Amino acid sequence: MSRAHRGQARPPAGALALMLVTAWCALVPAAALRAAEPDAGADLSGYWELGADSRSVPAAELAAAVTPAQVAAHARSDAYAIRWCNLLGMPFLMDSGRALNLQVGGREVLLYPEVQVEPRHIYLDRTAHINPEDYDPSTNGDSIGHWEGAVLVVDTVGFAANHGLTAIPGGGYRTASSHLLERLRLLPGGQVLAVEFTWSDPQVYARPHRYEFRYHRLPPTFEATVRQRCDPYDEDRARFLEAATPGGFAAPWASPGKP
Amino acid sequence: MARCACAALLEVLAAGCVALPGMAAEPRAASAIEGDWVRVDSHGSGTFGALADSFRAASLTPRGAAALAQLKYGQRELPATGPHKVGEPYVVVDRPCSGGPFTEGVLGIDPDSGAIHVVVARAQVLIAPERGGARVIYLDGRSHPDASRWTPRGTGHGVGHFEGAVLVVDTVGLTAGSVPAGGWRTAQTHLGERFKVSPDGRHLSIQYTYTDPAVYRRPHTYEYQFERLPAPSYALEEWCDPGDPKERQSIVPPPQN
Repeated sequence: MSRAHRGQARPPAGALALMLVTAWCALVPAAALRAAEPDAGADLSGYWELGADSRSVPAAELAAAVTPAQVAAHARSDAYAIRWCNLLGMPFLMDSGRALNLQVGGREVLLYPEVQVEPRHIYLDRTAHINPEDYDPSTNGDSIGHWEGAVLVVDTVGFAANHGLTAIPGGGYRTASSHLLERLRLLPGGQVLAVEFTWSDPQVYARPHRYEFRYHRLPPTFEATVRQRCDPYDEDRARFLEAATPGGFAAPWASPGKP
Repeated sequence: MARCACAALLEVLAAGCVALPGMAAEPRAASAIEGDWVRVDSHGSGTFGALADSFRAASLTPRGAAALAQLKYGQRELPATGPHKVGEPYVVVDRPCSGGPFTEGVLGIDPDSGAIHVVVARAQVLIAPERGGARVIYLDGRSHPDASRWTPRGTGHGVGHFEGAVLVVDTVGLTAGSVPAGGWRTAQTHLGERFKVSPDGRHLSIQYTYTDPAVYRRPHTYEYQFERLPAPSYALEEWCDPGDPKERQSIVPPPQN
């Protein structure tokens, strides 16, 4: 068979490539071609909310070194953060009582529930955490993420020890040595977002503490609401909160050491 | 060799299909706008407060001028006191961290010296200013809501689309307040914005146009310039604790030799 004859029997490589690409363009949405998003079916972007049936949280097994006095001190510090409208941060941000706006960009994933928190940034464009020598501990920590198929895996460190609401669902609290691993995935149908949280911290937990939330997707027509207000100078509100904190508030600025 | 040529062709054509017109958010334009940006003093003003001095002043209607004249803004600053002793702090703010205009992400419209963090997703652009909150710009083609069913807020209701590489945004439903260069805005005011990234990807310009016949005699237009922060930039947390007595303080006189 001559070269010319073979050419008539099979389309040239360039034409074949053109056909393949044409089919590719027709079938694959543009968003799916972006490096950070695995495929359209795994698009986690949207507004999400928790229902009464959304939390599967076992009791945490605390480290032997954790004393009731330490637990009480963290509770008083948390009460202070609420009283003074401090940034509350993680893990409160993931269960704030308001709809959670989660948007997947090309460089980062941003989460914002319109309450007393800074938006949470999960960076997809780096594989290492910011050098602890440079990073100021924060209520949300330093989060980096990557895709394992359709699962977004997020690793967070760099938490502020006594800023914000430190309580962790199931027991325990975050500290400067806390490490949070999250796995976000859509359940079949795409209307439920499952987030598995695993907290590790030898100062607080005897073994990694794992729990799961399942968020329901809100309709695409959902509109963001007005950010929840918090007035630290409302005296009536202050008395209301103080009545429920018989031990008094514990101010982080009154404690020695780093935040 | 033929396989290499085919692979190259595939890459070129695949890149081309990403940029097909008519898609909700064109990924190339989106990826250019996404990132961390900080506003720059493009006119050599010298001080941040003077950045708007070179802008053409707003031409207000009598109603707009009256609204601006009523403006009372700022922290509740305390009256000056005489010289303080060593170690005795000057207490200059009555109610620190009380929120004011910053908490609703309004700095996502009118950024100050803090960075803004822009995320471009499939159906939204989110702008998170460093001092709190986040601004949503919908890309899904929705219309503005009926004004009677909208609670005005610092970030308003923003809808946008890409015109080539330019993100074009229209915002209404803003809370009443001042606008740079002597402007005013209300919930009925339209804010048009055009976000454009330089060809080298390092600079962003945002052109603002406020339109409201009740407030302005002519559209009020100005432009901000931004520089992209180098990798691996990230959002800083703006911590402010109103319960901390130090938040009210300024200088603490040191020991004198």
